Amino acid sequence: MSYLNISVEDEKQPAGANGTSGDEAAQTAAFEARIERGEKIEPGDWMPAAYRKQLVRMISQHAHSEIVGMLPEGAWITRAPSLRRKMALLAKVQDEAGHGQYLYHAAETLDASREEMIDALLERRAKYSNIFNYPTLSWTDIGVIGWLVDGAAIVNQTMLAKGSYGPYARAMLRICAEESFHKKQGHEQVILMAQGTPEQKAMVQDSIDRWWWPILMMFGPHDSDSPNTPTLMRWGVKTKSNDELRQMFLNQVLPDLEALELTVPDPEMHFDEESGNWIGGEIDWDEFWRVIQGDGPLNADRLAARREAHEEGQWVREALTAYAQREAQAAHAPSTNGASNGAGGAHA
Amino acid sequence: MNPEIKAALRGKLLAMADDDLLLGHRNSEWTGHAPILEEDIAFANIALDEIGHAKLWYEILADLEGEDRETYPDRLVFHRLTSAWRSAQITELDKGDFAFTIVRQYLCDTAELARLEGLRTSSYTPVAEVANKIIAEEHYHHRHTRAWVRRLGLGTEESHERMERALHNLWPFTAQLFAPVPDEALLVEAGIVPDPQAVKEAWEGPVRAWLAECNLPAPEGLPPVNIGREIHTEHLVTLLGEMQSVARLVPEGVW
Amino acid sequence: MSDSQWPRYQVFEQRREGAPHENAGSLHAPDNEIALQMARDIFVRRPTCIDLWVAPAAMIFARSAEQLADPAWREGAPQDSTPGAYRVFAKTRHAGTHQFLGTVEAEGTLSALEQALETFSDTAALVWWIVPDSAFTETDPDDAESLFAPANDKVYRDQADYHTVSLMRNIRHAQAERSSEE
Repeated sequence: MSYLNISVEDEKQPAGANGTSGDEAAQTAAFEARIERGEKIEPGDWMPAAYRKQLVRMISQHAHSEIVGMLPEGAWITRAPSLRRKMALLAKVQDEAGHGQYLYHAAETLDASREEMIDALLERRAKYSNIFNYPTLSWTDIGVIGWLVDGAAIVNQTMLAKGSYGPYARAMLRICAEESFHKKQGHEQVILMAQGTPEQKAMVQDSIDRWWWPILMMFGPHDSDSPNTPTLMRWGVKTKSNDELRQMFLNQVLPDLEALELTVPDPEMHFDEESGNWIGGEIDWDEFWRVIQGDGPLNADRLAARREAHEEGQWVREALTAYAQREAQAAHAPSTNGASNGAGGAHA
Repeated sequence: MNPEIKAALRGKLLAMADDDLLLGHRNSEWTGHAPILEEDIAFANIALDEIGHAKLWYEILADLEGEDRETYPDRLVFHRLTSAWRSAQITELDKGDFAFTIVRQYLCDTAELARLEGLRTSSYTPVAEVANKIIAEEHYHHRHTRAWVRRLGLGTEESHERMERALHNLWPFTAQLFAPVPDEALLVEAGIVPDPQAVKEAWEGPVRAWLAECNLPAPEGLPPVNIGREIHTEHLVTLLGEMQSVARLVPEGVW
Repeated sequence: MSDSQWPRYQVFEQRREGAPHENAGSLHAPDNEIALQMARDIFVRRPTCIDLWVAPAAMIFARSAEQLADPAWREGAPQDSTPGAYRVFAKTRHAGTHQFLGTVEAEGTLSALEQALETFSDTAALVWWIVPDSAFTETDPDDAESLFAPANDKVYRDQADYHTVSLMRNIRHAQAERSSEE
């Protein structure tokens, strides 16, 4: 799952380069020209400090979202009601771990350390997509999340795969290729349950009623409240605005919801003939900001679970490191720990 | 196929399927909680493999019973009462810490591999075909778990202690993996399954040797098995209570 | 609380018979054997490759075309003199990734790159990677069945296994029929 939801701080502080020297201005211009030409920026290339900073923040948030996102769905693997659903959900959550893995590594090519990124997450200094602060209260949430949450993420990430930073774009390509099954397995579930017994249909409707608004908030604040967007678009980090993406999503899912006789908890939602768009009521932005600030239903819970896994795993990590070090010493061979030919650097 | 052999085969298939299913289920409990991200991914793979193997055995059982292979496995897994399961107790136990999980997986993987070697030449074609298909995945599990047994066994004092404790707790349960199911002798005679005693012997030597190398000498001997697979631990009650909860909410539901 | 004191390994995958190995990404592992197993678990969930190489990321010496244009590009390069074989990778397309070109014999890392530039002079690379041959751990072709084949059976990971399009089409069709009957 990909959850691009630029953090509050990103939105409030403009991302523009603060270079003052003529040199830096020239370099920035050359850099932006490269992006304009469709070139990829690779590790080692010159980049504005603000670009590097934005990317590390974006990529690590994205990675954190994948990892934290494993929890609300992963909790239902043990209760999936058929072998097909059990395996599909396990595979989906596994993919999310894999996607987090690809993304942490892309961020590491910008000289961020995974250790530090994870510490920042566990100490609540880093953000992840809000959507995972909401609880999964029933099995039918799983189908809705697959179809609509992953569906929303796909709308975002198709754009990211064309981004300017090589390692991130490559990670996104792998992610995109794997992601479509996430959405389809969810969509299939919702279709079958909406067409199933009255209890199943009611359960699905209840899931949609709880998840609808948080899903719309995934696309971030209105364009008018996103001062960073123009810079990010100029840097090829973002190619469409929040509102554009949100509209694309609405137009994609509402026809199917209607055909399945499922409703959304928005009395204003209607199809506007003139624009060809589905148009609904205003999002409750107070809740959006509150949840982003860490006050959402499950923020503390999610992080506690991650922290516990991390701490539990300490002895495991230490054991494998100790073993590897002893083996390397015993072999007198070039050690895999820290020894290098001086090349160093991070690549992906 | 004569009715006694059929009944024995039914019991054997159920035993193998139930073992794989529960192991896969227990492994899946680590998803999102594994000690390192890469191992989270690896364990999910092992879980998927095991559940996949269970599904293949359940499907042969469906064919044997004249049931629909699309729906029968789900009925067996999600609507069968605890007492009707035929899992070995070792597969029912809680996942414990990572040492416990690794040791259990290692012991079960090696047992399954030893059995699959014999099943590859089963005179009953569906069994031979499935065995040949899944043995490659079991080889990979073995490669994975033996590497981790070694590293955790030899790693640090703490990891060694945890591994020792896990082995001490798990070893008594291993014998049941090789105890014959009712009338298994008929299956052996018909060439459908290998002799469980031979499987146990093929298993025990290499496992003791590897564990010793990893500074985890296994306890002497294997206790005699006095119980059949219809005797379960209470862990199974909790496990099935959770696993079957959604399916039972809407018993006729299609998910 | 540390997660990544394990060294980083770069992973190279071969997608098809005859294709060159290419950069797939990286992972953290404590040693070569675990790195290779993890590479399989992380990068071969789907049947997209038939062979894997891993090498410690610290052993990769990289120079971009931009850096090579600067006459002082040798500054900061490794000063080792470890004679032997070095594998050469190059990224030639912006949207592509680093692909294996071949091996050179050299006295050290720096001279390996110089040789590569000569040997592969008709390759317009955007980025060059030089990695000592001895740094690699590879999958054994004999293990292909247990390492790579199993991904083929996990059809539930494939979006084609979910028939949402035909399901929705049937539903709309049934609705259209019902409303035309009314």
